[in-house]
Amino acid sequence: MSRAYLLQLAATNLRMPIGADIVLHRHSDPAAILLDGPRLGEVIAETAVTFGTPLAFPLMDLRLEKAWLLTLLGVSAADVDTHHFAEDPGADAVTRLSAALAASPPPPRVAANLAALRHVVKNTPLYPVGMSIGPFSLATKLLADPIMPVYLAGSGATAAEEPEVALVERALELALTIVLHSIRLQLDVGAKAVFIAEPAANQVFFSPKQLATGTDIFERYALAPNRAIARLLESHGADLLFHCCGDITDGMLKDFCSLHPALLSLGSSRRLWEDATLVPKDIVLYGNLPSKRFYSDQLTPPDAVKVMADELEEKMRATGHPFILGTECDTLHVEGCGHIICNKLHRMLNLIPLLPTP
Amino acid sequence: MSHFIDLKMAVAGGKRIDTIRLTQELLAAGSQPQEIVDQSLVPGMALVGEQFRCNEIFVPEMLVAARAMKEALKLLEPLLVSAGIKPKYTVVIGTVQGDLHDIGKNLVSMMWKGANFAVVDLGTNVTPERYVAAAREHGAHIVGLSALLTTTMPAMREAVRLLKAANLPNLKVMVGGAPITQAFADEIGADGYSDDAGGAVNVALKLVGEAA
Repeated sequence: MSRAYLLQLAATNLRMPIGADIVLHRHSDPAAILLDGPRLGEVIAETAVTFGTPLAFPLMDLRLEKAWLLTLLGVSAADVDTHHFAEDPGADAVTRLSAALAASPPPPRVAANLAALRHVVKNTPLYPVGMSIGPFSLATKLLADPIMPVYLAGSGATAAEEPEVALVERALELALTIVLHSIRLQLDVGAKAVFIAEPAANQVFFSPKQLATGTDIFERYALAPNRAIARLLESHGADLLFHCCGDITDGMLKDFCSLHPALLSLGSSRRLWEDATLVPKDIVLYGNLPSKRFYSDQLTPPDAVKVMADELEEKMRATGHPFILGTECDTLHVEGCGHIICNKLHRMLNLIPLLPTP
Repeated sequence: MSHFIDLKMAVAGGKRIDTIRLTQELLAAGSQPQEIVDQSLVPGMALVGEQFRCNEIFVPEMLVAARAMKEALKLLEPLLVSAGIKPKYTVVIGTVQGDLHDIGKNLVSMMWKGANFAVVDLGTNVTPERYVAAAREHGAHIVGLSALLTTTMPAMREAVRLLKAANLPNLKVMVGGAPITQAFADEIGADGYSDDAGGAVNVALKLVGEAA
């Protein structure tokens, strides 16, 4: 994608949720659709049309890469959700993973996502966006306690000294290996941008108190792997769309900006109109209505959504910063609450004509 | 007295080696295990909770402190058990059905242990029926439900409903997690809500009728 296209979209006061999951669950057979690439592609296209956006955003399912990785390393499918490495699986695990990725096709869910992307590219005028969990966030899912080793490493412990540090660094290596592979596959089928979701790159995992001591742990663990992704995308002329909905510090925000994403998506704890002073003007800010609480009308009355949206848009307009109003994260379907959430998404939208893609 | 304070500060500071040494020294000097818990460990974790609420420390520092506390408990628990001493209150905790996130649950669990609750940790993806069974089996005073995903809110609601319907004596239900709010806790009939691990101790103490 050309960065200019996103900047152009921002200038049209575009509003769009990340909402493919909501639209998926309007269908009677969502589980079947998830395994059927063309049908999933149609749902992604339907989502874009429903919410009045030229961007074809896929479903955000941040479990796929972990399942893929562990299956290739021999963990049974039944155990992938709960499996954690108890110790460093060794450099051999990275070699085995790379070999297995090269030798075997992606699993059914991933294959369907790729086919959906291909379908969007071939059959719609929409702008195809790929998606992946970020390498740090994936690494945290591979450990039972990911916070302690990060803290130990930030205190100066090395992999040679601390088994936990060795474990988390191997997990990062494994995570980056599969994420880069996934992104390459998505680029090969025509993705023009990739949305990288790094919800764990936040102050739960990286203590601001520790960061204030001058440790480079955030650079080493959260940013460096994503720099590799940014380089890959740049080499393919594709854009990085970076997402972190966790609680972050201003320093972390600035660090995300150093990845130079075309779009930066943040969670509802951030005051985007203040963040606008910290973010370069060629990075579009996206977000950040509190969509994680849309499931309940008592928590978030429908009328309040329109007020929040209008106020946020007004504040952002006053900053002059490129902005697309949206949700703080993927708006997930909640059983029994689909209509409540949809109602709010429609309240937040300011529908505009679709722009032609460049 | 100063040794109790030294141990309290070692725990609060996450100094594992010092915690082990000071606990051993206190035991060797004749201090009773329960005294060490009451004078050092509980105040140490209370200090951690307070520092977290004031944004002086963050989740990693809380975990480091909890880890230090666990080292002290490893030395003390066998002695407490053999003396027939057990915590006054039992709490059951788990992440609700459909949710595999456990960081928040683990933090609350550690803070509750630090406050001298007996903690039964059911893990993640806990069905409503399992909460009820565990509360009944262990005579729990509190059941804590944790969730991170909005998609599991219905499971939390159902778990609270079942726990209330079970009519277990003296049982209170607490909820927490990123998408949870006081308003939601009230809506589903929970007795308590905390928006962070440090606060979970105070809420639990209030629910069992102890001063917090």
